Amino acid sequence: MKLHYYPGCTLKEKTTALDISTREAMKRLDIELVEPEGWTCCGAEYPLTEEKIVGLAAPIRVLRQVREEGGDVVVTTCSFCYAVLKRANRAIQQDPLKHKRINAYLRDDIKINEWTKEKTTGFEDYNGEVKVLHLLEYLRDRVGYPRIKSRLKRDLKGLPIAPYYGCRLLRPADEMNMDEPDSPRVFEEFLEAVGCKAVDYPFKQECCGSYLSVSLPAAATEASYRVLRSARMNEAKAIAVTCPLCFYNLDHRQEAVKETFLDFPGLPVLFFTQLLAWALGVDKALLGLKEHSVAADGLFDAHQAAEVRS
Amino acid sequence: MRVKLKAGPDEREFIKRIEELSGENVYACYQCGRCSAGCPMASEMDLLPNQIIRLVQMGLAEDVIRSKTLFLCASCFTCQSRCPKGIDLARVMEAIRLILDPKGKDAYGPDEISPELARELPQQVMVSIFRKFAK
Amino acid sequence: MTAPKKKKEKRIGLFVCHCGVNIAGVVDVEKVAETLKDYPGVSFSTNYVYMCSDPGQQMIIDTIKEKHLDGIIVAACSPTLHEKTFQEAARLAGLNPYQIEIANIREQDSWVHTDGARATKKAIKIVKSHVEKALQNENLEPIKVDVTKRALVIGGGISGLQAALDIADHGYEVVLVEKNPSIGGKMIQLSETFPTLDCSQCILTPKMVEVSRHPRIRLLTYHEVDSISGFVGNFKVRIRKKPRYVDERLCNLCGECEKVCPQIVPDEFNMGLSFRKAIYMPFPQAIPGTYTLDAEHCLGLSPVRCGKCKDVCDKKAIDYDMKESFIEEEVGAIVVATGYDLYTMQALGEYGGEKYEDVINGLEFERILSASGPTGGVVRRPSDGKIPKSVVFVQCSGSRDTEKHNPYCSKICCMYTAKHAMLYKHRVPDGQATVFYIDVRTGGKAFDEFYQRAVEEDKVLYIRGKVSKIFKEGDKLIVWGADTLTGKKVEVEADMVVLAMAMVKADGIMDLLKKLKISTDINGFLAEAHPKLRPVESLNAGFYLAGCAQGPKDIPEAVAQASAAAAKVGDLFAQKELIHEPTVVPVNDELCSGCGICIAVCPYDARSLDPERGVAVVNEILCEGCGACAAACPSGAAQQRNQTDEQIFSMLRAMLRE
Repeated sequence: MKLHYYPGCTLKEKTTALDISTREAMKRLDIELVEPEGWTCCGAEYPLTEEKIVGLAAPIRVLRQVREEGGDVVVTTCSFCYAVLKRANRAIQQDPLKHKRINAYLRDDIKINEWTKEKTTGFEDYNGEVKVLHLLEYLRDRVGYPRIKSRLKRDLKGLPIAPYYGCRLLRPADEMNMDEPDSPRVFEEFLEAVGCKAVDYPFKQECCGSYLSVSLPAAATEASYRVLRSARMNEAKAIAVTCPLCFYNLDHRQEAVKETFLDFPGLPVLFFTQLLAWALGVDKALLGLKEHSVAADGLFDAHQAAEVRS
Repeated sequence: MRVKLKAGPDEREFIKRIEELSGENVYACYQCGRCSAGCPMASEMDLLPNQIIRLVQMGLAEDVIRSKTLFLCASCFTCQSRCPKGIDLARVMEAIRLILDPKGKDAYGPDEISPELARELPQQVMVSIFRKFAK
Repeated sequence: MTAPKKKKEKRIGLFVCHCGVNIAGVVDVEKVAETLKDYPGVSFSTNYVYMCSDPGQQMIIDTIKEKHLDGIIVAACSPTLHEKTFQEAARLAGLNPYQIEIANIREQDSWVHTDGARATKKAIKIVKSHVEKALQNENLEPIKVDVTKRALVIGGGISGLQAALDIADHGYEVVLVEKNPSIGGKMIQLSETFPTLDCSQCILTPKMVEVSRHPRIRLLTYHEVDSISGFVGNFKVRIRKKPRYVDERLCNLCGECEKVCPQIVPDEFNMGLSFRKAIYMPFPQAIPGTYTLDAEHCLGLSPVRCGKCKDVCDKKAIDYDMKESFIEEEVGAIVVATGYDLYTMQALGEYGGEKYEDVINGLEFERILSASGPTGGVVRRPSDGKIPKSVVFVQCSGSRDTEKHNPYCSKICCMYTAKHAMLYKHRVPDGQATVFYIDVRTGGKAFDEFYQRAVEEDKVLYIRGKVSKIFKEGDKLIVWGADTLTGKKVEVEADMVVLAMAMVKADGIMDLLKKLKISTDINGFLAEAHPKLRPVESLNAGFYLAGCAQGPKDIPEAVAQASAAAAKVGDLFAQKELIHEPTVVPVNDELCSGCGICIAVCPYDARSLDPERGVAVVNEILCEGCGACAAACPSGAAQQRNQTDEQIFSMLRAMLRE
């Protein structure tokens, strides 16, 4: 089956690992991912003030495109994209002013026939028809863990992984509607479904430092350290993320963490889709492990996980 | 020096503007301090998150605008998720940043990023930080 | 439809009230009185500044006598305020009180309009409609109801016990029903009480004994209310007796059964911090003093799987064949004193939910402090029994939260937290006690002084800031808070954390309340008739409220409220008989077809079908005159007294004419 998929700009350039592993994993579940035509960056941040309505134009444009292509669901793996798309979708549904102004912006964005210079398609207001789902939700609710379990090709033997939710996946809870912000289960259930052991640790929704790693690196380094340390203290062999920014802070900047906090020996960082792909039998070369700063290959060595079926 | 508290047109205008931009009722805050207690960046801040909203309540725009705190907010929404009155403090922070002097020294725009760093940074980070802090 | 009532030459008097400027400020009251002077049926018309005043009432009384009036209309405020006043005035003048009409030209007119001219026109229409109604009013006699002078008290905690004692001391019989094996409620679980640090059990057990020995109190423990029917002064209560499997008259508390019982169950009296057997005594001073066999945790009673306890019982007090049975009691008043529960920690994921053994609630800490508790009164933490050297107390856990939890303040936590911190410091003098608060609310007598003692003498550290997160790291609990007074984010490493969890409605209360049919407020606490002036009565006549069932409160207030409820019960019982409003809806047999629609719509279960005659019948005492049946009846057989269909149509015609 075909499923609309919004990768987000970062996945196509800096964190292709998240993109490739997602595609390969979904192939194994007989799902073909289709990107909406002409998609652009979603804007990364949902505008928090009433004045910055223009920030909604890009995400709504993407969603409308999904609708035009006949899709009623779009799935994404990046937490930031997920937050922007989902919240923008809700804003269009609930705020008449935003609905009016964004649809007015988009009205000008209709394709024009190159030869006749006439507008070729009619414009219908976008009213929030498309449902935005994170891949974790999609796997839990629409694919279902039993189906995933039936397709597993490798037994991960309870590999202890610390699920890292970060901030955007769960908060604000009434808009994201993904899970309970202080006692979530969705990521843990996913890890158990693919054969890992979900490690419980208190920093799973604490901030990694986010974009402050650029403007105030010291603050972000400390925030990342606290997350990594907590995961390690609770005996995780790796920490799994759903966001390129978390990956950047926890993996790329782990060197900086180690230099500042000498007691921290290190911890590999993975994308949750890499675990999914690996468990479903995807080849190690297709997991994008070369992009990691902290070597994670060891976790995927053949003798770490037994083949379940050929 | 004693701070003269006024409820004059300037103060009211400031508070009203913040409330309009953020969509939050700043008077709902009863200063419990939970936002500050859970904020991951609070230890770096000069004014704690609850103090920021307190100063807004009191109409003391000058003190708020000069604070480093506004550029330490990571928009992680921990404050919002724990606030017993349901106030989204991240929105209030963003509203205050909007009415700041555009050339404020803490702003962070493309000029602040070196070419080497730009090559390394994921797009997501750059777009985020420009959206939040650039003017 | 019945033939229209012949209007004999009735003489109606009209009294239009100014109500100061409340009415006269908008409505031209003189014009109203003047215009109505010549209306057919009106024999007298006047206006006056305050009809409800003494001279105003006297004016009514005198005019009725002098002008031989058969009915009067007082055009004034809402009948909910002064209908009784004017009915009484009429009665004193020798006029049947149900011949008076209140035309509301204040709440329905002058208070909701600003256009004086149109408001005056409206007032005239309103008064005219009431004249039409008055012309058809009949003399009615109030219905007299007997009162059963016995009371039912539901709940055997401090409030229920106090109410029962007061009512019984008045001279009336009381049936006290308690669902647990013993009376004592939550207060018997406490260690010491504020602000005196009195030993809770020492001050409560005398009351418990008094109740058990009182000649007029029938104590029914391990019983539950099954159903209630009837109405004020005449309730029939069905009470379920749960099988204890032990005859309390024979049990001599030797304890041999407990020794041999193989089943181990978390002890709910000790909040799960220790264990009991399936056959157990909840606590040493339990009343009645007997063992109880908890069938749910017993290995099996039918067939008998174990039988060891029965074997060792010398007194032959154990009987596995006991069955549930029912008792019927007739009472005139019911006091609901069902208490409270604490909010569940599961709702506070940021504090670990229920993950951490050493994060406990106030009642658990009370048991730890208690000399008869699981640690013998030594402060030890549940996980490993170590004596904690750093204890953090978190106020407002789940209270004062309009977003996710309970919006109200639970009232007692500030005081009991200060108490807990003090008692901890008394027992572990070198320990650190830290309290995180938003405010400290100490409004009662000697309360603030008590709190200051904790701070000044026992050196408890109070930090103003609500805790954001609690988690475990190694052996310690890390508490994240903030000191809003100095503007610092703070972190405390604690050995144990005590959460002041919100007081919420008692578990299972909603099922009971459905049977009682009394209302609750938005938070599930029993609703009082008026928040200021009637705090111990329910709007449902015959039901009285006492204790935390009505809202969070401390022991002094609970006792005061219980005594107040008892006094109100005394008011009820002091009356020879009850008066029930006669404006009920009788059934006209000739017109009734027995369709049964009126029976279905009656919210008071006042109507039923007479199977022999095939018509509806009404119990006039249960009927509250709401009129639902009158509106629903397709044949007009249900006509409300003094508010018949014909009267209503007359009123409408008067209003719509011209």
